[in-house]
Amino acid sequence: MVKNITVFTTNTCAYCGMVKKWLGAKGFTYEEVNLDQNPDRQQEAFEMSGALSVPVTIITKHDDSREVVIGYNLAKLAPAIA
Amino acid sequence: MNETEIHDVVIVGAGPAALSAAIYTTREDIDTVLFEKGVIGGLAAVTDWIDNYPGFPKGIAGLELADGLREQAERFGADIRLGEVTKIINKGEYKQLNTTEGEIKARAVLIATGSDYKKLGIPGEQEYYARGVHYCATCDGAFYRDKKLVVVGGGNSAVQEAMFLTKFASHIDLLVRGPEMRASEILQHELKKQKDKITVHLNITTDQIIGVDGKVVKVIGTNIKSNQQIEFSTDGVFVFIGLLPNTAFLKDSKIELDQIGMVKTNSDLETAVPGVFAAGDVRSGATMQIASATGEGATAALIIRKYLEGKTVEQ
Repeated sequence: MVKNITVFTTNTCAYCGMVKKWLGAKGFTYEEVNLDQNPDRQQEAFEMSGALSVPVTIITKHDDSREVVIGYNLAKLAPAIA
Repeated sequence: MNETEIHDVVIVGAGPAALSAAIYTTREDIDTVLFEKGVIGGLAAVTDWIDNYPGFPKGIAGLELADGLREQAERFGADIRLGEVTKIINKGEYKQLNTTEGEIKARAVLIATGSDYKKLGIPGEQEYYARGVHYCATCDGAFYRDKKLVVVGGGNSAVQEAMFLTKFASHIDLLVRGPEMRASEILQHELKKQKDKITVHLNITTDQIIGVDGKVVKVIGTNIKSNQQIEFSTDGVFVFIGLLPNTAFLKDSKIELDQIGMVKTNSDLETAVPGVFAAGDVRSGATMQIASATGEGATAALIIRKYLEGKTVEQ
């Protein structure tokens, strides 16, 4: 079960918009961290994902385990929120 | 989603050709469902700036154009679903499409899946994907503030995206395999204005991406003319070396592909399977321009309308 979701995005990233749209279509709410508006959190996104890339979606489960999905990757996002 | 209803048309893809077709079909009250596995708007949506789309004298951000096309199609009733079509089966009266969201049926199908950026296929590319090797400047450029970059490619996309990346990078080495750029004259003219930030290297193959401690540190290439190896120190690599059609899902179908995997059609944009049409960058002979794709999408919609009315497609 999903406890909360954080999505790291930038203003110009089309894939970020797709992740948000997809999560919305599945009925999930999420916290968005826009790295253009919060550049100080870029390192946090990198440390959590190991990627110099957005979107990064952090899915925290009720047992506090985490799944990290890099990019708009439905094959990984769908099982991560199941 | 295993629907019993047969939709008038299912459009595979939601890029400019697909969305234009949907604008036309939905305005004709043709029940239209689109399936998109990637980004709504296609490659146009991930392109920083589009300067040659008619009607926008100052140019338009790719994402903004894509959003506009989507909004217009949805205003008329286009049903855009997020998922992947994995197979198209011709059932005669209708086509069955297997998707990641279940089965769906349609009287006519438009394949408008566009294309995606090619990979280099060199050592280090996959290993450092998203950690120093990238294919989307508008997504990942912001991670390279005041860093050095290599951009690979000599066409419009490479030049356009290299110029976008100057917003962040301190310097860019642009590696071009051929003896000259393939980008349009106007883009090359703009590129020259950036000569302090972008250095163009012609006749250079890109052979290997080297990293240390999980970070990209250099690219190794070869000067084709002198046959000498050359190294470029860098913090990241962005690759824009051409396009590959998104047609892997058609490999076992009766829809004919050309030698590079693009969908063959007749002059009515109909494929080898009656009732299945193709438009935009995925179609064999496409000019790979957004303006052409939207035009083809509109044409395909009008032809599909005729097909649905039971009229012969061939004139």
